[in-house]
Amino acid sequence: MLIPELQIFIAGSLIAAAGGMLGSFALLRRMALVGDALSHVALPGIALGILLNFNLFLGAGVFLVLGTLGIWAVEHKTKLPVDTLVGVFFTLALAIGALITPEEEILDALFGDITQISQLDFWLAAIGSLVIMALLLFFARRFTLSLISPDLALSAGFRPHLLELAFLLIFALTVAVGIKFVGALLMGSLIIIPAATSRNIARSMNQYITLSAILGILGAILGILISRFYGFSPGPAFVLFAGSLFFISIFFRR
Amino acid sequence: MPILEIKNLNARYGEQIVLENISFDLEKGDTLAVVGPNGSGKTTLLRAILGAVRHTGEVNLSQGTRIGYVPQKIDLERDLPITVKEFLILRGRAVPEGALKAVDLAPSFLDKRIGELSSGELQRVLIAWAIIGHPDLLLCDEPTASVDMAGQKTVYELLHKLQDEHKLALILISHDLTVVYRYADKVLCLNRKQVCFGVPDEVLTPTELAKLYGGDRKFYHHAHS
Repeated sequence: MLIPELQIFIAGSLIAAAGGMLGSFALLRRMALVGDALSHVALPGIALGILLNFNLFLGAGVFLVLGTLGIWAVEHKTKLPVDTLVGVFFTLALAIGALITPEEEILDALFGDITQISQLDFWLAAIGSLVIMALLLFFARRFTLSLISPDLALSAGFRPHLLELAFLLIFALTVAVGIKFVGALLMGSLIIIPAATSRNIARSMNQYITLSAILGILGAILGILISRFYGFSPGPAFVLFAGSLFFISIFFRR
Repeated sequence: MPILEIKNLNARYGEQIVLENISFDLEKGDTLAVVGPNGSGKTTLLRAILGAVRHTGEVNLSQGTRIGYVPQKIDLERDLPITVKEFLILRGRAVPEGALKAVDLAPSFLDKRIGELSSGELQRVLIAWAIIGHPDLLLCDEPTASVDMAGQKTVYELLHKLQDEHKLALILISHDLTVVYRYADKVLCLNRKQVCFGVPDEVLTPTELAKLYGGDRKFYHHAHS
């Protein structure tokens, strides 16, 4: 068995790498806030997990998949922009989550704490992150095209609607995996910040995707280290560090 | 047998009817120009053929027809880190030097980012993208909307050349009647309804054009030698 200390670094790095990679695709179509919103959708699931004492990952996962299917279905029914829908779904979920989460647990649910992960959580996070990255790489061409231009994707014989659903589901899985690390409130940052930083400096898609993952890993390791030394919670430490890198990257914009 | 046959095509966005009873067909190797005022359903027609718009009526493509689509614009953000090569590989996995050559762009463009291209160059890249799939039917939505006059001529000449080489059928949306007279075998006048369809010299009469664009604007037919 791995020593717990090392487990935290491994889980954090893998989660952040998956989040960064996913973010590089999400930012192709201004979907940055979907991550924020989806993480709030997970909140009622987490609350139920706490109340009824089952694995939080499972609770979050179920709510995320339902939320994602809901968003996707309503989008195609009404043609409302995704972010409008997501905005509605997420405030609803946040309200429900806030009502039913026990008060003493609410900070953890909102800000996460990877230092408290169990054995099961560790394996779920590690395997989940690897699966996410493998799926993203496997579908990279199709996702890129559908996100950039659904019509071009269609003309190339792809099915953009279904690809969009697949992408949202992978998105949901990423949120489920990452929520233990940075919590519901900061989940978006795990997805957006490394990718936004990478976008400032990368010169090609390959660089962009790779660098997003690397920046995620870097942020996770340093975030966890900072939290060790100064006793912060690792989630906010990750965001502070990754956010600073983003501001530095602005000066290196191509 | 026509490569494309459209019968009683209707499309609507919500309550609003965008296309009403459109019927025409297109033979292999033919060029069809679609003309009409803004908001007359031209782009919707192309997207319906592509399968991107829900519609009623029939859109019959002859078996095995491959479609190429050149959108009017593509909502790529300028800072998107994607190179021309990576963009073209999204369509076909092989290194796309041939396609680039076909649209008269040097191989050095492969490593440029999409955001660095001028609108004329982007247009060519979009055309290259479409022809990588070896289409039998090419749909062009105002291929010269953002190109200057000199550039416009070469884009049409390019399309014409590609058409000759590959015997592909071409549907192009154009606002420029000169282009219609010069390059199109058939013209479809669209104003949600089908106002006219036929050989340009026969159907583009002043009365039809007035009906199409409204009012009694005068249209001049510049004869080309």
